[in-house]
Amino acid sequence: MVKAMMRIFGLSILLIALIGVSATAAPRDYLLDHYASRVGFAVPFGPDTITGEIPVAQSEISLDFRAPNNSRIVVVLDVSGARANFPFATQALRGPKVLAAEAHPTISFQSRDIEVASNDASRASLMGDITIRGVTRPVMFDVGMFRPAGQAQGERSRLIVRLNGEVSRAAFGADGWSDLVGDAVSLDLELFIDAGG
Amino acid sequence: MTARNSADGFGWVTRVLHWSIALGVLFLLPLGAYVARMEVGFSNFWLFGLHKSIGITVFALLLVRIVWHRVSPPPHPLPSGVAWKDRAAVLVHRSFYVLLVVVPLSGWIGSGATGLDVLIFERVTLPPLAPTSEAWEAVAFGVHWVATKLLLACVVLHVAGGLSRRDGTLRRIIVG
Repeated sequence: MVKAMMRIFGLSILLIALIGVSATAAPRDYLLDHYASRVGFAVPFGPDTITGEIPVAQSEISLDFRAPNNSRIVVVLDVSGARANFPFATQALRGPKVLAAEAHPTISFQSRDIEVASNDASRASLMGDITIRGVTRPVMFDVGMFRPAGQAQGERSRLIVRLNGEVSRAAFGADGWSDLVGDAVSLDLELFIDAGG
Repeated sequence: MTARNSADGFGWVTRVLHWSIALGVLFLLPLGAYVARMEVGFSNFWLFGLHKSIGITVFALLLVRIVWHRVSPPPHPLPSGVAWKDRAAVLVHRSFYVLLVVVPLSGWIGSGATGLDVLIFERVTLPPLAPTSEAWEAVAFGVHWVATKLLLACVVLHVAGGLSRRDGTLRRIIVG
């Protein structure tokens, strides 16, 4: 449904949101809608793909539409609530050979920089640091930002932020069952955010 | 047809246990080799569960057999007339008992040490026999690998020995 909304109503992103003309001078704080938002992942499993979700435990989102680099996105995920599309994968995912939920109950991401594509203002890259199993590595996400259906153009009280990226399991020591499960994990975050205050 | 063993022949309980275990082992050895090499995906992941389920069943049948032979001792082996063959037959027979304990237990220990549930028949979760540990897992599956090769060797020797005998050894494990 969200995809359909995006297809029908979604106007592209950063061209309007991040570098568009705005009267807003300071970063604007947003609150995450935990119920609507989702953090999905996908990883190759032989000829198939294991997919799943990890719930957001905490977030801090502040967007500056005039100076994108002043924006800040912090997302903390609750590893103990991670779920995959079949039970053994859920158990493996939370277990000591992959995310080690007991020893490392959270995954965190903190943004550092946003780069709007010079030749296409509708595209941007979000650079930051992701910490998995206590190991911090740089990561880059492709960013998309959309208005929900029915929201007037230019209105930014509620936004949908889409982040797509990839991490290597081995880089974080989360390489259990590497003979069965691939190394590259695709991340797909769909964050519904509401302007605070 | 009697359930109990006699001084000269096997009762039906021992024979059923023997052939059930034999069928299980003959099914498990190639299945284990296959699952160890297959490209795992959603469509064939259930084969791991099948391997564990039948393996535990064979282990349970072996325990029943051990208890049953306490209750109703089996007849002594028929002498072949060649001393080394008789000694080899006894050695293989005893090795079966050891390996049919070691193979399933090492598989169970290794599976439990991965941190994943040891699920059999898609509904019964066996308790782990070892802590979640890559070291336990490596050792247990190493033992499992070696023990299955020894078990295969025993199967070959046992079948060859049984088929080569013309003294009624094979007959009495089939018809009593």
